[in-house]
Amino acid sequence: MRPDERDLDDEIRGHLAISVKDRIERGEDPEAARLAALREFGYVPALRESMRRVWYSRWFDAAAALGQDIRVAFRSLRRARGLAATVVVTLALGIGANAAIFSVVRGVLLRPLANRDEARLIYIRQSAPGIGARNLTFSVPEIADFKARVTTISAFGDFSTISFTMVGFGEPRIVQAGVVSGSFFDVMGLRPVLGRLLNSGDDGLNAAGAAVLTHRFWTNSLNSDPTVIGKKIDLGPRTATVVGVLEPSVPYPADTEIIANIVTSPHHLGATMITGRTHRMTELFGRLAHGATLEAARTELSAVHAAMVSEHPDAYSAKADMQLSARPLREQITAPARTILLLLLAASAVVFVIACSNVANLILARSVRREGELAVRAALGASRGALRRTLLAESLVLCGAGAVLGVLLARPLVAVVAGFAARFSVRALDVTVDASLLWVGAGLAMAAAVLLAYVPRLPSPHAPTGGGLVSAGVRITPGTNRRLRVFATTQIALSFVLLAGAGMLVATLVALQTASTGFDTRRVLALDVPAAVGDMSAKSIDFYQEATRRIGELPGVEGVAVGSFVPWRDAGSFGSGMPFIVEGYTPADGEENPLARIRIVSPDFFAVLGVPMVAGRTFTDADRRGNDNVVMVSQTLAQRLFPNGDALNRHLAWTDPMFGKIRHRIVGVVEDVDDENVVPGPVLTVYHPFAQMGVGGRVFVHTSGDPYALLPPVRRIIRELSPNQPVERAATLEDVRAQVLAPDRLNAFVMSGFAGVALLIAVVGVAGVLAFSVSARVREFGVRLAIGSPPHSLLMGVLSEGAVIAAIGIVAGAVSSYAFAGVATAYLASFHLPGVLPILGAAVVLAGAAVLASLMPAARASRVDVLQALRSE
Amino acid sequence: MARTPDDKRLELLQGTLDMLVLRTLQWGPQHGHGIGQAIASQSDDLLKVETGSLYPALHRLEKRGWLKSEWGISEANQKAKYYRMTAAGRAQLLREQDRWSLLVDAIGRIMNPARTVKE
Repeated sequence: MRPDERDLDDEIRGHLAISVKDRIERGEDPEAARLAALREFGYVPALRESMRRVWYSRWFDAAAALGQDIRVAFRSLRRARGLAATVVVTLALGIGANAAIFSVVRGVLLRPLANRDEARLIYIRQSAPGIGARNLTFSVPEIADFKARVTTISAFGDFSTISFTMVGFGEPRIVQAGVVSGSFFDVMGLRPVLGRLLNSGDDGLNAAGAAVLTHRFWTNSLNSDPTVIGKKIDLGPRTATVVGVLEPSVPYPADTEIIANIVTSPHHLGATMITGRTHRMTELFGRLAHGATLEAARTELSAVHAAMVSEHPDAYSAKADMQLSARPLREQITAPARTILLLLLAASAVVFVIACSNVANLILARSVRREGELAVRAALGASRGALRRTLLAESLVLCGAGAVLGVLLARPLVAVVAGFAARFSVRALDVTVDASLLWVGAGLAMAAAVLLAYVPRLPSPHAPTGGGLVSAGVRITPGTNRRLRVFATTQIALSFVLLAGAGMLVATLVALQTASTGFDTRRVLALDVPAAVGDMSAKSIDFYQEATRRIGELPGVEGVAVGSFVPWRDAGSFGSGMPFIVEGYTPADGEENPLARIRIVSPDFFAVLGVPMVAGRTFTDADRRGNDNVVMVSQTLAQRLFPNGDALNRHLAWTDPMFGKIRHRIVGVVEDVDDENVVPGPVLTVYHPFAQMGVGGRVFVHTSGDPYALLPPVRRIIRELSPNQPVERAATLEDVRAQVLAPDRLNAFVMSGFAGVALLIAVVGVAGVLAFSVSARVREFGVRLAIGSPPHSLLMGVLSEGAVIAAIGIVAGAVSSYAFAGVATAYLASFHLPGVLPILGAAVVLAGAAVLASLMPAARASRVDVLQALRSE
Repeated sequence: MARTPDDKRLELLQGTLDMLVLRTLQWGPQHGHGIGQAIASQSDDLLKVETGSLYPALHRLEKRGWLKSEWGISEANQKAKYYRMTAAGRAQLLREQDRWSLLVDAIGRIMNPARTVKE
C-alpha cells in the first residue's frame, strides 16, 4: 500500500526513537544520544525524499503541482469574471465551429460507404469536353464492348433512370425509377433488408417485371410495411411485382423510389436502345478484379475506349473529343460537397486562429497587469518552470471551459451544418454526433492552452527588478506592445480573408439573382402534368387542349400554355442538345452539325411566359398534324446560321433517325430565353408546335392574382378530364429560380456568418489593444495635456494607431487572400479569383470598423484628467 | 557491543542489500532499525548498512510485493513500521541465494584457480 506523507514521517520518527533508546540503555547521556542518533541517520529530508520517490514518480509530482496551480487559477479567474467569460465564449465559438464542421467533413467525405468492399467500387464516366457535355453516359453497345474486353474489372453494373406513372401506392404518381440489369446490386455490394434484390434471373425479355423499393421510400412513404413484398404495381403500361427492399445506402446516380428490371421499361427493349451506339442513357459502375489497381483499370478502360472510338468513327465525332474517366464511387458521390466543405473547414480554421489571437491579446494584457505578482514570485525563488506552470494552469482552465462550451455548442451546430451540406451530398443526411467531436474539441483546446501559456513574457531574473517590485502601476514594455499589435494585425488580416471570401460569394449571388431571365417569373405557375412516356396519340393531345381551354376560363387566369420543360427545374434532363442540319448553311470543313435544344410548346406559350417575338409569327391551332411541319427558333440560332437575317421560311431537320428526316419550316423567331441556366447565355433552341410533336407534360398558367390560389381549381379540372392523371410540383417560376439558387444563397449566408463573427472578434481585439495602450499611458497623456498639447491631437494619435494596425492588417490580408485563392484554384476546379469589388468592400468595412473601434479609447485619451493622471503614482 | 573501526568495514556489493534484508526477515517481522542492527551484528559489525540505503530498499521491496508492512509499537514505546516477508519474497530470496552462490563460486574460480581444481 502506497504510504502517505505522514507514514514516512512516522517511520523516521520511530527509527530515531529506537536508536536513541538503544544509546541511552548503553549509558549515553540523553541529549548526546539524541544528537548522535540524528548524526548517524543523515540528512532527514534527503532520505525522506528518496523513500517517497519509490512510490511517487516525478510526473506524479508535476501533475499534483499543476492540480494545485489549477485550483489557484480557478480562484484568481473568479476575480476576473469579465475577462474569463470573454475568453471562454471566444474560444467556444472557435472550437465549436471547428468541431461541428469537422464532424460533417468526416461523416461526408471520409466515412466509408455502406456498400460491401466499397474501396473496390468504381464509377465510370464518358464525357465530351468538345461539346461541353460533362456526363454523356453510355449506350448499350458500348457497355457490351467493355464487358467483353476489360479484364481488370470483374463485373459491371448499369443503371438508367426513367420516369414511370406508378399506380399502386396511393395516388397515381410520376416516379423516377432506376432500371438495372441483374448484375447491378451484386456489383454495388448492397443487401436487402426484406425479400431479395434483382439478380441474373430477372434479366431477359421473358422475365417477369420485378421492382425493389429503396429504403427511404419504404420507410417514409410506406411506414416500413413488411407486407409490401409480393404486391403488384403498374409502371406505365407494364406491371411489376415488389420483390424486396434495399438496405439504406447512398442513392447514386439518382435518388429513385424504386429500382426495376429491364423488362419493365418498353424503351429499354426497343431497337434504338439495344443497337444504337449513340443512344446513351446508362450510367456504368464496376468492381475492380482481384489484384487489379484503380490505375491499371483506368489504363485498360482508356485503351478499350480508344479502340472503340477508332472502330466506330461515326459514333465518336472528333469535335466532341470524348473522354473516359474512372474514380472510386465514394469520391464521385462526395465530389459536389467536397469544395464547399473544405472551404467551410478552412473558414472555421481561420475563425479559430482569430479567436486564439484575440484571446492571446486578452491574456497578454492580463499578464502585464500581474507583472508585479510574477516579479514578486520570481524574487522569492519561484523557478521559470513554476511561473510558466501558473500561466499554463490558467490557460488550461480557460481553454477547458471553452472546449466544454464549444462541444455543447457544436452538437446542435452539426445538425445545422449537415442540413446545409445535404444540399450537396445526401451522405450528410445521416451524419451523427460522435466522439470525434470531443477529440477535436479537446485537441484544439490543448493547442490553444499551450499556445496561450507561452504568449506572456516572464520577468527575467537578469533584468533590473524595476517596476514590478516597487510599483503597482501598469507599464507596457516595447516587446509586449509589439506582440499585442501583431495579434491585432493578425485578426484584421484573417478577418479580411473571410470578408473578401464572403463578399465574393455575395457578389456571385447578387449577379445570379439580378440576372434578367427573359421570363415573366412572378406570375407564371408551372405544373408537371406528365403524360405517359411516348404517348403521342390524338386523345392525349385533345386532353391537353381541353384542359388548357377549361383552365383559361377560370377567373384570374390570363393565359394557359403547354410546354415540355419547366425552366431551370428540368435543367439537364434532355442532355446538351440534338444535332440538326439547315438548308442554306453548310458547316465548314471539320465542323460538326450544330446542336439545338428541342422544346415542344402550345401556341400561347410565348405570350404566357412573356417571351417577345422578334420576327415572323407564333404557332396557331392550324399547326397540327397533317399540315405543314413548322418550327420557331431562338434569336441566336437565327443570327448564327442565317447572318443575313433571312431565317424565315428556311427549313431545318434533325439528324437523329428517331425524328424521321422531316423538314421543318421556320415560321418565327423569338428572343433568347435560357431555361437551363439561371444566368442566361446565348441559346440555340428549336420550338415545335405541341399539336405536331406530341405531348409536353408541363402546363403554365399566367395569372393576375396569387398564382397558388389557382392550384385547387386547376387540379380539379384535370382530374375531371382524366381521373388517374398526376398533377405535381406546382410552383411559380420565381420560386423555381429561388430553389435553384438556394445552395448559392446558403453558401453566401454561411460564409457571411463566419466573416461576421470574425469581424466582431477583430473589432473587439483592436478596441481592446488600444484601450489597454491608453490605460497604460494615462500619465503620459496627462503630462502632454499639462504642457499644452490640444486634446484633439491626442485623439488623432490614438486613432492613427488604430488606422495603422488596420492598414497593415488589410495589406497582409489582401496578400494572403490572393495566396489562398491561388492554392484554392489549384485544388478546387470550381473556384474563381475574387473580383475587385469584394476585395475593396472588405477593405472599406474593416477600415471603418477599426476606426470605430479606436474611437472610444481615443476619446478617453483626450479626456484624461490632468491632475489625477499626474498624481497617479 | 564492540565497535569495529571504520576502515575495517566492508562496502556492500551492488544488489546484495535486497538479499540480506530478505534473509534477515526470514526469522519474522522486524522494523527498519532492527533490520540494520541484525545485518551489522550477524556480520560481526563488518557490514554496516546506511539508513540512506536501507529505507529506500525497504520501500522498493515492498512496492515489488516481496515485503508487507504494518504498524506496531516498538520497544521504545513508539509507533514503528514492521516489515514481513511475503511468499513472493521467500521465492525471491531463494533465487537470489542461488545466484549468489553461483557468483561466489565463479569469482572464487578466477581468484583461486589451484584450490578449485583440487576440489
